[in-house]
Amino acid sequence: MSTLLDVRDVSKSFGGNAVVNHVSLSVEDGSSLGLVGSNGAGKTTLFRLIAGELAVDSGDILFQGRTLPPRADDRARIGIARTFQIVELFGGQTVLDHLLVALQAHQRRQGPWRDLVHGGRTTPEERAACMEILSVVGLDDRAQAPASTLPLGERRAVELARALVCGPRLLLADEPSSGLDGGETAQLISIINRVRRETGLAIVVVDHDLATVEALADHVVAMDAGSVIAHGTFAEVTTNVDVMRSWLGVTP
Amino acid sequence: MSNFLSYTLQSVPWGCTFALVAVGLVLTYRATGVFNFGFGAEAYAAGVIYTELFDHGVNRVWAAVIVVCVVAPVFGAVLEAGLFSRIPVGNTTAKMVTALGVMVVLPSIVQLFPGTGNLQAPFAPFFAPVIPIFQVGSFFINGIELTTVLATMVTLLLLMALLYSKRFGLPMRAAVESPKLLELTGVNSRSVLRSSWMVATMLAGLAGVLFAPVETPVTPTNYSIILVAAIAAAAVGALRSLPLAVVGGVALGMVQGVVQGYIPQTSVWYSALVPSLPFFCLLVLLLVHPGMRTLDQSSDPMMAVEPPPPTPALAQRPPHINRLIHRFRWILAATFALIVITFSPGPWIAALTIGGAYSVIFLSITLITGLAGQLSLAQAAFAGIGAATTAQLTINQHVPALVAAVAGAIVAGGGGWVASLPALRLRGLPVTLLTLCLALLADNLLFPTSWIGGGANGLTVPRPHIFGIDFSDVDSKSFLLLVLAVVLAVSGVVHVLLRGTTGRALAAVHASPVGAASSGVAVRRLTMFVFFLSAAIAGIGGALFAMSFLQESPSDFSWFWGPTFLVIVVTVGATTVEGAIEAGFGYALIAQALTYLPSTGSSSSNAVQSAVTVLVLSFGAFTYASHPEGIVEAAKRGIATTVLRAVPANPFERVGRKNS
Repeated sequence: MSTLLDVRDVSKSFGGNAVVNHVSLSVEDGSSLGLVGSNGAGKTTLFRLIAGELAVDSGDILFQGRTLPPRADDRARIGIARTFQIVELFGGQTVLDHLLVALQAHQRRQGPWRDLVHGGRTTPEERAACMEILSVVGLDDRAQAPASTLPLGERRAVELARALVCGPRLLLADEPSSGLDGGETAQLISIINRVRRETGLAIVVVDHDLATVEALADHVVAMDAGSVIAHGTFAEVTTNVDVMRSWLGVTP
Repeated sequence: MSNFLSYTLQSVPWGCTFALVAVGLVLTYRATGVFNFGFGAEAYAAGVIYTELFDHGVNRVWAAVIVVCVVAPVFGAVLEAGLFSRIPVGNTTAKMVTALGVMVVLPSIVQLFPGTGNLQAPFAPFFAPVIPIFQVGSFFINGIELTTVLATMVTLLLLMALLYSKRFGLPMRAAVESPKLLELTGVNSRSVLRSSWMVATMLAGLAGVLFAPVETPVTPTNYSIILVAAIAAAAVGALRSLPLAVVGGVALGMVQGVVQGYIPQTSVWYSALVPSLPFFCLLVLLLVHPGMRTLDQSSDPMMAVEPPPPTPALAQRPPHINRLIHRFRWILAATFALIVITFSPGPWIAALTIGGAYSVIFLSITLITGLAGQLSLAQAAFAGIGAATTAQLTINQHVPALVAAVAGAIVAGGGGWVASLPALRLRGLPVTLLTLCLALLADNLLFPTSWIGGGANGLTVPRPHIFGIDFSDVDSKSFLLLVLAVVLAVSGVVHVLLRGTTGRALAAVHASPVGAASSGVAVRRLTMFVFFLSAAIAGIGGALFAMSFLQESPSDFSWFWGPTFLVIVVTVGATTVEGAIEAGFGYALIAQALTYLPSTGSSSSNAVQSAVTVLVLSFGAFTYASHPEGIVEAAKRGIATTVLRAVPANPFERVGRKNS
């Protein structure tokens, strides 16, 4: 397996407050990494640095051995997809439209040139590709529903489908279980694991729910106050003394 | 040095006028969450009432008291109850549209009353008016000025006491952040917001009364100029700090005074630079002040309990109605063209030609507002740039008129592209303010320059001469057909973009910029493109407009038309192509129809006619919160749905209807 994502000595501070402090980690192709830590440990900031929503102060992020382009949309098009802790959907657009936006952007078949020269209609192939992903996440009967009318579990599934429709190499999942009940979480985990088996997708997942991290991640990295304090298997990290103290609130 | 001191001190009262209005803007924004574009209009109305009361024999002091303490707060309560309380907290676009509606509609209503055209205001309510009250060296201050300075100081102190008091200020500030949360703590947030509005309009009333004697006659233009200058002052405190707004206002007045003092009055710079100084300041503040960039980011934790504001895409028409129109559109268009060519008398041909030009300008608003969800106030300015370029190229370079119009569109598009660069980092209110700034700069710097806009008299614009057809007759039907062809082509482009991948992607960007970027949507490229194309279309419209009058005159594209056009398009329907076309022809045809009314031929009756035209087409700004698709469009949908229900056409007609 080759290294897909290589984060090298990355730092980011806001107003003198070092939120991510010399963090290095790597993700192998097709593997999964759990990122855990207390609130404010810098997990989401690290995600935003990888996705290109923020610029690093120092350090390098390599993807497939190459430096990443600076902007988030370019990174999305070369195979870095993400979901959000608080779902970021396109208001009242239908579920199918969400996927079409992402698919057409990914295929660079979006924008005035296509509309004016080739006509802006959705092709049957595009529709079929979107419907296939929707059936994977179990939303094929919801394709024409406005996304804002769906319950949270299904909205998270829409976000996941939107991320998957471009066939990413790496999925950044920010607290996928946040706000979901046990059944919904289990369903989401089984969808992600199924997609990983079928496509060899690598994921980085942030979550506070230990069971979710255990079910999704082969390796776990624990962060505290912007730094990596432990890494290893789930069992190794959750029994690490520093992790127990800072994140699990247990004094060994 | 003594010159410098006297220039500075002389302009303190003038700066205080800015400061007072700036304080009003900041208070309204902080206490109601609305950036009140209507503040200048409210002040104008107050100035008119103050003058009218004085003319009817009311003592100056009592007239001021009646306006500020009775009329203004009542009007504020009416505004809150009738308009702003109906807008959900998070819907900042609706708040802006409604405020722009007040800005455009209120002066029009006032002008319907006879005699408001040329009002000479009485003196300030206190002190002997023009006699120097006191004097320091060569510097003296008269009654009007002393009143302004004192009123500003007293107002600032009172408002700061109010805003930072626990009893009144705390609930006021809380009501802006989250009325629902405030209600959960047992406070009636409606009444808090209503009192905020009353205080805010009292300030507008005070500004109106104090400003009336400074700049007579009392006209809406004078008041809107002071409004936009005050926006720059308010921006110094990022629309949040009262003391900084005062500092900004006074400083702006002083700088203007000094510049005015040192630049010789005959210089070109004098007429161009001095009035546009506040707009430069605003532009710089928008670009560099971090507080101005983060305006409009509502942090109401209870926002999730309200439905999100509809995206432009959702405001589009349901498919079954689209099909109904789709089926009949060619018949409608052909009938229209036939009637026009065979029956219309000369003046109506001219009106229809102008309507076509308006339609093209309005289509640019459909593109940027209906498609990209940005409220641009610079579309009239872009139209003006298109017209000026066309005029200059045809007259001085002898370029064929159509080629010149295309060049004009490209130059205007370049202006739009420049506007898009800062807009990439901003959203909502800052973008609107930025476009306002650009429109004002174009109005003050570009159009009065003889080698661009041709100065006050404007330029002549010849009509094209192609294939041996001469379009230059004023009532030329062939020119009308040419304009209609352009309308058709432009609406085709806008329609394809609205319904295609661009429309869907831009609606996504509008709803969630991070989500769209994370899906790979090229946010920057699309935004720059929309700004460019929208400005270019406005440029074509401006060129056609100038050609239909055979004359480019800068006042046709004065900055105030920007908000007016926007409000008109939003009323009729900013999310569909026919909305813009109906608005364009509607505007020109209503104006033409009004010329049949008995008229005295005076300039004031012209003002009344134009006020009525604007009024008829802009009331829908007030229903934007519930009908973002436009009030006329909403009515059309209602009628079409009723028709479809009454006449169940073939069964396939119902397939597209959503079951949800």
